[in-house]
Amino acid sequence: MTSEVREKKIKTNGIWLNVAEKGDEGEPLVLLLHGFPETWFSWRHQIDFLSSHGYHVVAPDLRGYADSDSPPTHESYTVSHLVADVIGLLDHYGTAQAFVAGHDWGAIIGWSLCLFRPDRVKGFVSLSVPYSPRDPNLKPSDLFKSFGDGLYITQFQEPGRAEAAFAKHDCLTVMKKFLLTTRSDFWVAPPNTEIIDDLEVPSTLPDWITEEEIQVYADKFQKSGFTGPLNYYRAMDLNWEILAPWQGYKIVIPTKFIAGDKDIGNEGANGTIKYVKGEMFKSIVPNLEVVVIEDGHHFIQQEMSERVSQEILSFFNKLRNITE
Amino acid sequence: MNRFVKVNGINMHFAEKTPSFTDNGASRPPPVILFLHGFPELWYTWRHQMVALSSLGYRTIAPDLRGYGDTEAPESADAYTSLHVVGDLIGLIDAVVGDREKVFVVGHDWGAIIAWHLCLLRPDRVKALVNMSVVFEPWNLKRKPISMFKSFYGDDYYICRFQVSQEWGFYILQEYGEIEAEFAKVGTERVLLEMLTYRNTGPILLPKGKSYDDPVSLPSWLTEYDVKYYVSKYEKSGFTGPVNYYRNMDRVTINFCFARCRTWEMMGAFSNAQVKVPVKFIIGDKDLTYHIPGTKKYIHEGRFKSHVPLLDKVVVIKGVGHFLHEERPDEISKHIHDYFLTF
Repeated sequence: MTSEVREKKIKTNGIWLNVAEKGDEGEPLVLLLHGFPETWFSWRHQIDFLSSHGYHVVAPDLRGYADSDSPPTHESYTVSHLVADVIGLLDHYGTAQAFVAGHDWGAIIGWSLCLFRPDRVKGFVSLSVPYSPRDPNLKPSDLFKSFGDGLYITQFQEPGRAEAAFAKHDCLTVMKKFLLTTRSDFWVAPPNTEIIDDLEVPSTLPDWITEEEIQVYADKFQKSGFTGPLNYYRAMDLNWEILAPWQGYKIVIPTKFIAGDKDIGNEGANGTIKYVKGEMFKSIVPNLEVVVIEDGHHFIQQEMSERVSQEILSFFNKLRNITE
Repeated sequence: MNRFVKVNGINMHFAEKTPSFTDNGASRPPPVILFLHGFPELWYTWRHQMVALSSLGYRTIAPDLRGYGDTEAPESADAYTSLHVVGDLIGLIDAVVGDREKVFVVGHDWGAIIAWHLCLLRPDRVKALVNMSVVFEPWNLKRKPISMFKSFYGDDYYICRFQVSQEWGFYILQEYGEIEAEFAKVGTERVLLEMLTYRNTGPILLPKGKSYDDPVSLPSWLTEYDVKYYVSKYEKSGFTGPVNYYRNMDRVTINFCFARCRTWEMMGAFSNAQVKVPVKFIIGDKDLTYHIPGTKKYIHEGRFKSHVPLLDKVVVIKGVGHFLHEERPDEISKHIHDYFLTF
């Protein structure tokens, strides 16, 4: 399945990123941005599908992950750095404008790309994480305080804390706890409990992933660790600060948002699905389509790979005026 | 009119001068010009343009930028990246003009750099730009500005002297403050006079232990009153805020263990980006910036235009130095009005 995926290292923005690639280089470029805690491998189905439907697919291991460089401190993991990494990739391929799809933190990078460099994005598909208006008076760490210490984001802040908690489990178990989660609350652990201990591993694997595939992730994280990936969370306040120029900004890029109705943060009345179907989201992303996939959880491009692949393809094709 | 507004977490002071008449009684609001001052100045540097242009029907707004004058000055150099300053300006325009409104922008010196970055980050808010003194240089990973200045002019070059002064081997110790301490010894008034009256086309060098005893004579365009105004504000707010802008020009890492997030880092997202706003650029032929190696060629032989494709006009004014809008206020006001009239 991924036998024809080429992997190579590309220098961008002063660092080396490991990039998976498939498809004809003459075709329009699709950039796939993974989330936490993943690698380009999360896109394996879409890489095959999109490359066999007329696209040149490029999927990096993001800064801090797997075989890419991992600068040591969180100050090097702001969205400005991540966007610069991506721009460097597009420059490397000589792509003036790319189709972009991002999941989880990859979606945040995609949104940021639409702020910083709308001139380089033809269309954007966001999986799981919508664009939220920036509150000029409330920085992320203050917002998270209201969820208490049990919130995973809060637990990820202190350098070393989550790393130590994760290290109590082997990497395969850690990956299973994340990838196989069916929790749709906001991931708040009970008092005096680390989230990694609170996440459960189901007794059987679901049909959309194999033990070998999970091992692929485990091997990568065993080698590269979790500090790089956790640094994204540690830069959230810094991101809020530097996104001030886009206060009140409306995303002008044609966008499709896709999420499972059982994704993280969808429990209860004020979940993500309610937000993305509402007026506020539409007002700041006016050129928007929303797709909610029934029974889908967080790692949706793996769990519902065919559906997500089709949704991405039809969206990008539509922007190219191609119909099935 | 002096006003204050809370934007982007700081209290910002700005001066405003509105037109004294309405435009033919038409109900549309007057066009707005946002003026961005440089170093070591204040909103006050634009006093002549604000009078002239408001009488021609513009609403003129000139803030003290973050760190300057009566605007708040956060302590850390980390808070002086272009993204912070542009964030302030977007907040200012939103609050004072309207959150869907575009403005004309006029920039000089550091204000010109901020104006370039405002055009990169939020071209949707800028109708047209008149920029002065400092050209747009796209971000370049290979070019480290401080090393470049060091190689041109040596360690005593003022921009080099503004940088971090101490790295103590393995210890993560960043000591800013050396230049501020030296300025304090020399005295605020003398420091300002040295900068504001600088007429040399060569680089500003600040060797340690340089004497500042020779009398300074004021040029015709700078009065005692003007100097008093600058001095009173700088004595109150100091030089750290203003100098912090320079401390963001380059990457800051110490021993690879400790990185700070500076403008240099964050503009990586704009590598190869062009400024896509209509621009008129004005510079004096006695301006020290005009004489930085490579600049004349850059301006006149096409590269400037390749990075600013909507660069409509470049004006080089003979016999005029760095503070051109104070030296030739009427001429500059006319240039501004003539250009903005076309939009």
